[in-house]
Amino acid sequence: SAAPCSTSVLRVAEVHTAPRHLQEGNRACILVDSREITTGLEVISSLRTVHGLQVEICPLNGCDYIVSSRMVVVRKSQSEMLSNTSKNKFIEQMQRLQSMFQRICVIVEKDREKAGDTSKKFRRTKCYDSLLTALVGAGIRILFSSGQEETADLLKELSLVEQRKNVGIHIPAVLNTSKLEALPFYLSIPGVSYVTALNMCHQFSSVKKMANSSPEEIATCAQVTHQKAEEIYKYIHYIFDMQMLPNDLNQERQNPDTCLTL
Amino acid sequence: MERNPPDGTGPVHVPLGHIVANEKWRGSQLAQEMQGKVRLIFEEGLASADFYLSSKSCILYVTEADLVAGHGYRKRLARFRNSSHLQGIIIVEKTQMSEQYFPAVQKFTVLDLGMVLLPVASQSEASCLIIHLVQEQTREPSKNPFLRKKRSMLSELSLVQTVQQIPGVGKVKAPLLLQKFPSIQQLSNASVQELEEVVGPAAAQQIHTFFTQPKRQQPCS
Repeated sequence: SAAPCSTSVLRVAEVHTAPRHLQEGNRACILVDSREITTGLEVISSLRTVHGLQVEICPLNGCDYIVSSRMVVVRKSQSEMLSNTSKNKFIEQMQRLQSMFQRICVIVEKDREKAGDTSKKFRRTKCYDSLLTALVGAGIRILFSSGQEETADLLKELSLVEQRKNVGIHIPAVLNTSKLEALPFYLSIPGVSYVTALNMCHQFSSVKKMANSSPEEIATCAQVTHQKAEEIYKYIHYIFDMQMLPNDLNQERQNPDTCLTL
Repeated sequence: MERNPPDGTGPVHVPLGHIVANEKWRGSQLAQEMQGKVRLIFEEGLASADFYLSSKSCILYVTEADLVAGHGYRKRLARFRNSSHLQGIIIVEKTQMSEQYFPAVQKFTVLDLGMVLLPVASQSEASCLIIHLVQEQTREPSKNPFLRKKRSMLSELSLVQTVQQIPGVGKVKAPLLLQKFPSIQQLSNASVQELEEVVGPAAAQQIHTFFTQPKRQQPCS
């Protein structure tokens, strides 16, 4: 049930939080990129203290928040969306995420206002509109947040929605050393996200077991779509051809041809 | 380009690059600002949506007044969601006045209904945004930067990198191993003896242990 907007709407985040959430029993887990410690500390602490979520800080390498086994959330400041300068970087990041995740959500967060600074009023730009419409066209979800606290609230809601769809993260992000060895191995498989690699570490008793699994088994254990499981299966069975390796690894790699760059 | 009004229930025909608008928007600021850039076709009796961008998607416009007035708009959105197979894009006026209601609207539309929500500050902002949406609808999907596939790396190269993640295997041993055992699957099934033919006994043992992972303390999951 959605919270009805009462008189105290300004603090929607706090209205329906901790007490009700604790009753729900199984705590949702959210994986947070370690870089968010510097840029979104308030988001992380809100997730922990106000919402009582299990927050695991991991080196996610550009995936800001992973809220389920299939969904990544990117936190983006409004000012970055407004200017053309970081557009290409953003597009590149999205393309990378799309190779790993079934669902992507972008949270556009209002920049923190400095006291007395009224010069930086929000001015909608062409770049902003075209980014938004391209995101809509690509089926990427967009949410708007007024600040870090609200972002945390939205992340919690997203993870609850995903949990209800049975794709929540229910495995410990902490691994014992023998399983930890397999993590970078799984992560090096193209298109495998951190949460998928974690699932593989937990669900396969050994790497050998994984390498000899059918696409169906991979889909169940790694909690990925059938298509993704098929991709992983193909990679595991791909026959290496020394001739295809650009001469020597140490030697200069042929530069990608210009027509294929952005 | 004026056409006869349809009965309001059938699919709405939208010519490429046009917008079919609900009659009630005739003469509004929003319609006037769009008219210079896209062709608007006004139709009466359009059931629930305000603008049709194509035969697949349409816009529901929620004004500042709608938000302040209460939850009436919710019924309209939910009804649309349940009755239509069209993609509904909701444009909402997020002004100083209606800002406080925005989080609740967002939760309802995006998280509960799973629809697209875009805030604007005024009708003139909305007109720019709608024009962009029409352009997005008419261009080829491959032109969308977020849909363009990232060029995948050569499998050979990433295979070498994957094999390098095995403890004790570096730049030199990885290609050697792949030459003898040309897939990850074959490498994972190699015995210590077979591995010793390529690398030294210590590394062979390390690789074999990595794949077979003799149970130490962890319970079988």
